[in-house]
Amino acid sequence: MPLDTSTTYPLTRLRLDGRRWNELRLLQAQISTNPASSGSSYLSMGNTAIMCSVHGPAEGRRGEGSGQAGSAGAMVDVEVNIAGFASVDRKRRAGGSGGQSSRIATTLRSAFQSHLHTYLYPHSTISIHVHVLSADGSLLAAAINACTLALVDAGIPMPGLMCGCTAGMSGSASTPRDPRNEELDPLLDLSLPEEQELPSLTVGTTTAVPVGENHMDEEEGEMKVSVLNMDSRLHVTYIETMLAVGMDGCKQIRELLEGVIKSSR
Amino acid sequence: MAAQQKASSASQTPHLSPAELSYLYTSLSLPQNPIRPDGRSPTQFRPLTAEPDILPGTNGSARIGFADGTQAVVGVKAEVEKTVLSADTLDASNLSQQQGDFAAQEGRDGREGAGSAAVAGHGSWVQVSIEIPGFRDDDALPVFLSEMMRESLVGSVAGGNDSSDEMAGGLKGRLVINKRWHWRLYIDSQGEEDPFFDDDWAVAEHLYPRGTTNSTVKLSSSVPQVRPPITLLVISVGENTIFDPSREEIAVADAVLAISVARDGGDKNLKLLSIRTIDPPSRLTQPAVPNSENVNALGATAPTEDVAVLNPATGEEEVPGVWRPRRGGVKRSVIAQMVKTVLKKGGVGEEVLEGLEGVEVE
Repeated sequence: MPLDTSTTYPLTRLRLDGRRWNELRLLQAQISTNPASSGSSYLSMGNTAIMCSVHGPAEGRRGEGSGQAGSAGAMVDVEVNIAGFASVDRKRRAGGSGGQSSRIATTLRSAFQSHLHTYLYPHSTISIHVHVLSADGSLLAAAINACTLALVDAGIPMPGLMCGCTAGMSGSASTPRDPRNEELDPLLDLSLPEEQELPSLTVGTTTAVPVGENHMDEEEGEMKVSVLNMDSRLHVTYIETMLAVGMDGCKQIRELLEGVIKSSR
Repeated sequence: MAAQQKASSASQTPHLSPAELSYLYTSLSLPQNPIRPDGRSPTQFRPLTAEPDILPGTNGSARIGFADGTQAVVGVKAEVEKTVLSADTLDASNLSQQQGDFAAQEGRDGREGAGSAAVAGHGSWVQVSIEIPGFRDDDALPVFLSEMMRESLVGSVAGGNDSSDEMAGGLKGRLVINKRWHWRLYIDSQGEEDPFFDDDWAVAEHLYPRGTTNSTVKLSSSVPQVRPPITLLVISVGENTIFDPSREEIAVADAVLAISVARDGGDKNLKLLSIRTIDPPSRLTQPAVPNSENVNALGATAPTEDVAVLNPATGEEEVPGVWRPRRGGVKRSVIAQMVKTVLKKGGVGEEVLEGLEGVEVE
C-alpha cells in the first residue's frame, strides 16, 4: 500500500491502518506501575508506548528554589527521554537530549506548571520523567496523557484531567478551504506515517472548574484548550475544523483515562 | 539546569549521618551473621520480576524490576552493516581482544590460525548504552556501566567442546553473516530510579533469546545451553560478603565489586569473566569525631572510652562506634572469599542463573 494517504484515502475512506477518520487508536493505560516513585503510569496509544514517573512534591535543591520563583508555588520539572530503540531505525543521539525530546519537555513543563495547583506546595519541586519506549506518532499527546495519569497517581491536585490528542487533514491543505466542495476530511489521532505526510495539530484540553450556582445542572463541564502545538503548515481556514475534531478526540480520551483511574482503585 | 535534573531521587546517594553510617557498618560487619536493614541473609536477593519481549518495535526487549521499584527497560536492535576489511581493523581487533577478554583465549587462537577477522567478529559490533534519569549520557557512571556490560558480553565465549560450531567465537561470531556483511547490535537500557545494577541482568537475559531474536543468524533453538553472562554486585563490609546491596548498604561498603560470570560451555561449571572494582561512596562520607578529640565534650567522658581498635579487614585503627570514611582497600582474602561465594557449586551465581532460566522466553 502506498504511503501517500492523500491518494488512497478518498477512494476507500479508510486510513492506512484501517481506521475511519474519527477513530482513535487502541488506548491502554495503567497507573502505579512503579512503586518507588510518588506516581507512575504506563500508557500506549497504538504503537506509541510511554512510561512516566513523578517524584515529589519534594524540597528542591538548595539555592534553586530560594528565588521568588520557588516561593510562590511548586516548580514543575520535566525530563523527556526518547529511547534509542523507540523508532524504526535506531537513532543515535549526539551529546545530550535531542531536539524533539527537549521540545516536548518544554511544552509539558509550561502546560503542567499552569495547570496544577502548584501554590499548595511552595518551595518544592515536582519532577516528571517521561520515557518514550516506542514512538509511533502523537508523541506529545501521549506524553500529556501519561503525565496526567502519573500526576493523578501521585495525588497532586489539579482542576481536571488534562488530555491530549492530535488532529490532521487528509491532504496538504495549502489552499483556502472551499465550503461547497469539501475534498479533505479531518483525521483524528495520527500515526507516524500520517504525521510525516500530513499537517497535524496537537490539542490539549482540560475541563473548566465548575463555578456558579447551577454548575451541577450542566451535563459535562466545558472544555478549555490549554495546549496547542503545530509543527507543519496549512491554510488557516482549516484550523477550526481540526481544532473541533481534536477537542472531540480529547473528550473521548478523557473518558478512557477516567476509566483507567476508576478501575485501578 | 543540569543541577536541577539531579533533583530526582534517582541519582541520590542516601544522606546518612556519621552515627547512622557507623551503626549500619557495625551491624553489617558482625562476624558470621551480618544484620541487614531489610532482614535479608547475606546472599539473598531482593525479589525480582522480569518479563521479556515487551516492545513490538524492537528485535528483543525486556523489563526487569526489583520489588522496591528499581527497574530497567532494555531494547535490542540489530542492523546489517558492511564489514570493512582493512589492515587497521585487523590490528584493532587483535588489540581489543588482547586487552579485554582473556576468557576468549582458546577460541581466538583457532581463529587467528584461520587468519580472518571477518569470521572472528569484532567487539565493537556490539554497542551498549545506558540512560539513567538525572545523568547526562557522557557522565562517568553510565559510560562505565555500559562499557562494563559490553566487555563481559563480548568476552564470553562458549569455549567448551559440547557447544557446536555455531557458537564458536561467542557473541561476536554470531554477528557474522558472511565475509562482507555483519550484524551490528545496539543495546539500549533505560534505568529507572536506582542506577545500581539491575541493568546488566536485563540485557544479559535477552541478548541470547534462544535464537529467536537474531533469527537470520544461523543459530536456531538447537543450542539451548548457551547463556549470556551475568554481572553480580557484591560488597564487603568488614569480613562479610554481601550480595545485591541496597543503596544504604553500598554507602558503608569497604569495597564494591562487579563480578561477571557465565556458564562454561556444556558442563555446569561457572567461569569468571571479569571483576571490576567500583569506587565505594563511603570514601566521600563525613568522618565522625571521637569524644576524646571533641572540644565540646572535653572532660565529659572518661578517657578509657575511646580506645582505637584495629579493624581486621582494612588494617586501620578505628574507635568503635565512630565512623571513619573507608579508604577503599581490602585484604586479598576478602576478595577471594567474594569470588568463591559466586563461583562455587550451588553458590550464588548458579542460583541466579537458574532463576533467570525460569523467565519465559517464547
